[in-house]
Amino acid sequence: MISEKRKYLLGILYLTFGLIQIQAKPPIDSPRNDTLQYYSRDAFVQSRDSSFSQTYNPEYERLLDKADRAFRIGLLKRAKKFYNQAATINPNSAYIHYRLREIQNRIGNFNSFILYFNFDKPDLLIRSLTFFILFFVGSMLVILLFILFNRGRMEAIEQRKQILREQYQGLLVDYLFSADSANTIPVEIGKIATSSFNRKILIDQMIDLSINLTGSAKKKLRELFFALKLDKDSIKKAYSFKWHLKIKGFRELAFMDITDANEEIIKCLHRKNEIVRMEAQLALVRLNHDDSFGFLDHLEKPFTLWEQLTVYETIMFHKLPIPQFDRWLYSKNKTIVLFALRMIDVFKQREAYPTLFWLLVNEDAEIRNMTIHNIGNLKIKEALPHLKRLYKNEIYLNYLAIVQAIAKMPDESILNFLKLVIDKEEDVQLQIEAAIAINNMGSLGKLTLQKLMDSDYKNYQIIIKHVLDKRIN
Amino acid sequence: MNIVFEVIQFVVNHFIFLLTILLFTAYVLLAIVSAIALQRYLRKNSYVDYNSIILAPLTPSISIIAPAFNEEITIVDNIRALLSLYYNNFEVIVVNDGSKDSTFQKIMDAYHLEKVNYFFDYRIPCERIRGVYKSKNRSFKKLTVIDKINGGKSDALNAGINISKNQLICSIDVDSIMEPDALLKMVKPFMEETDRKVIGTGGVIRIANSCEIEGGQIKNIRLPKKFLPRVQVLEYTRAFLMSRMAWGKLNGLLIISGALGMFDKEIVIKCGGYSIATVGEDMELVVRMRRYMADQKIDYSLVYIPDPLVWTEVPSTLKVLGRQRNRWTRGTVETLVRHKNMLFNPKYGILGILSYPYWMLFEWLAPIIEFIGLVYFIVLAIFGQPNWSFFFLLLAFVYTFAISMSTWAVLFEEMTFHRYKQKREVFKLVIAGFLEPIFFHPLTVYWSIRGNIDYLRGIRSWGKMDREGFQTYKKPKK
Repeated sequence: MISEKRKYLLGILYLTFGLIQIQAKPPIDSPRNDTLQYYSRDAFVQSRDSSFSQTYNPEYERLLDKADRAFRIGLLKRAKKFYNQAATINPNSAYIHYRLREIQNRIGNFNSFILYFNFDKPDLLIRSLTFFILFFVGSMLVILLFILFNRGRMEAIEQRKQILREQYQGLLVDYLFSADSANTIPVEIGKIATSSFNRKILIDQMIDLSINLTGSAKKKLRELFFALKLDKDSIKKAYSFKWHLKIKGFRELAFMDITDANEEIIKCLHRKNEIVRMEAQLALVRLNHDDSFGFLDHLEKPFTLWEQLTVYETIMFHKLPIPQFDRWLYSKNKTIVLFALRMIDVFKQREAYPTLFWLLVNEDAEIRNMTIHNIGNLKIKEALPHLKRLYKNEIYLNYLAIVQAIAKMPDESILNFLKLVIDKEEDVQLQIEAAIAINNMGSLGKLTLQKLMDSDYKNYQIIIKHVLDKRIN
Repeated sequence: MNIVFEVIQFVVNHFIFLLTILLFTAYVLLAIVSAIALQRYLRKNSYVDYNSIILAPLTPSISIIAPAFNEEITIVDNIRALLSLYYNNFEVIVVNDGSKDSTFQKIMDAYHLEKVNYFFDYRIPCERIRGVYKSKNRSFKKLTVIDKINGGKSDALNAGINISKNQLICSIDVDSIMEPDALLKMVKPFMEETDRKVIGTGGVIRIANSCEIEGGQIKNIRLPKKFLPRVQVLEYTRAFLMSRMAWGKLNGLLIISGALGMFDKEIVIKCGGYSIATVGEDMELVVRMRRYMADQKIDYSLVYIPDPLVWTEVPSTLKVLGRQRNRWTRGTVETLVRHKNMLFNPKYGILGILSYPYWMLFEWLAPIIEFIGLVYFIVLAIFGQPNWSFFFLLLAFVYTFAISMSTWAVLFEEMTFHRYKQKREVFKLVIAGFLEPIFFHPLTVYWSIRGNIDYLRGIRSWGKMDREGFQTYKKPKK
């Protein structure tokens, strides 16, 4: 008799691995005891002997032994096979029939398990829980094995990539810079770049190399790209349904200056996926030779600051021709107006002033704010009276922008206005900015600040000390 | 009497069972959403070259605010690490929150500080600021140090916000170690903002116990040697990669860890800054900001970045860990109670309908229910009532679920950041996952119950958080 504690422990093992079959007698007080009777093989010897020849049959015994062994360790199908074979020798054996019934039960479902443990709960619940337990254990084992093999696989791939990179780099450098390889494609490259994996590595390597190339070397690399028909790979990627492949294709085409997929790239400007959209913009900046920034005319989706920054970086990195950005100051897309304003500021396009003037009364506060900043940064003094006039009707951030803009183009005519800001405004930041603006006015400004310092109003002294402290600003 | 007992038994049995199933389903669903979001994020960011924007002129300005209280051992190195972050347009504001040791003196000496005539407004109320200091050395011009009367972490952060000159604030625990490109990654969502205003970003906190550190930067990543921090690695991985990622995706994120978070300064100020009346100031601020945006009917989002952005030392003794968990529980309860009218309030969208009830049920009440269930089971066992067979079946179900989730967490880590290079470390993590439900989880339940009791008793203290300190980097022998 197995102890209660051990029985439950075995039960958990049974659940977990589904392999161990419990061969213990069920508790005597089990309410379902009558439904599952325990039979030892010996108990059947009598019945077997009565219906079968009294003579010893070694084959029959061997089959039964095999079947019993398989049954004990849970190899139910194997056990079934041997019992069936034994049944051909002794078709009337009650023992074999009982075992076959039991196997049927255990294979088909977990009835025996449910009955054995007397869960006293709906079968569906027990089955579900058992299923999930096995699923959790199974998934855990699969994950562990996956981690183990994936590490090995990744290491192998990385190693292979490294070898190929080194090979390709050597071959490409030889091809580009050795005099005797003027127009012939290195046979080795063609040989290695047969599989798609190798071609991917080769494309990556060529793009990495192209970043640092100019002039004839870059041209030669591009020719090699075409000669190896790698352009087909890139175009195929650009037309892919998978967005991450599409992006890769756009990048490769842009780097190699291949315009064959421009139509597809233009279509992607209106995609919902912001990453595809951004990469399409970047590709077009480089591939649309007639009008690099023409895509801005048709962009309906917001042109985020991140996208603006990447376009700016592209312009700078590839030394692209810079257009007059005031062309987009009338765009209906607010984000494009903001981009144009930023670029006007960065590239100091002072000639945009007439349009900037109109933007000071734009209904959008953010556009007005950016315009005010631009006016300050471009030091357009003609706008000072407008800024002063606008001040009283603006929102807080634009007050601040106006005072900051004034500080960048000091003009004595505005001194009284700034003194008024210090005097009337309660916001510390505004007061500080106004004091900075006065300080920037040279000797008159410094004299004015000195006078304010000497006044009785305590805050003036603190504000001006702050402004004059060069360690702070 | 028997009938009453049977009714109680029926209700308790079914309620706890249903809650367990609900909890497991929520975990699985969150893990699925996280996996989808993670895959997209990783693919998307594999094309991003953060280095190209380090010096770009269009990036928003950031103020890093680092409150420091009795940090004399590590403060100098930590400030140096902050000053060397990859970003163009930022300042570092270190707030000495009335340290009782030589923290302030150490900063003064190391960075040649002198008091400046800084004029500022107490836009958010905070304890008196004794002085604002800048370095005489122009190499440290990005550094500003505030010396103030002690008022706690929230108060120090508020002081930093008052001094800050920039559009975005980034709050950080000064003893944490930021990844050099953390600012670039955190600022990106603000730059990707469209019609929805981005009000904050947060990322993955990693555990630095047993890692080797040099000059305030991680040199060698190692799995913690001790069991407690190692289990917390699993816990953090599950929380950050399998749960918060999903909440971020669903725009239902209720917390950005206090160890590192970036926020729109104006929104923080409009919301009144960090609350000094709670020990869970990080969660409370996020909830308040979200409420504010919803009340103002402004479309907004709070973005979660699944990149490891900051490394921190977690408690390695039961005593300190207990204090931390106790505080976390009190912080959660305080925040949930303070914002109780958000519960099932459709005005707050997914926050009121999903996030808040989830946190209430599974973060606050689940340990209490678990505890009640345990007590109930013990009573049943004493009176000889339990259905042992079913009990063991359920136990096996719960246990295998727990270890399976931990294994999934290890897989998430493996497929995303792959920070533990040795196979041995991965298997040690898995083994920790096997032991966690037996040795660690009951303790977390206990600490949570203690936290609830302390909350009811009105205890509001942080509790002393002793640290062992990081391991210094040993240069490999040639």
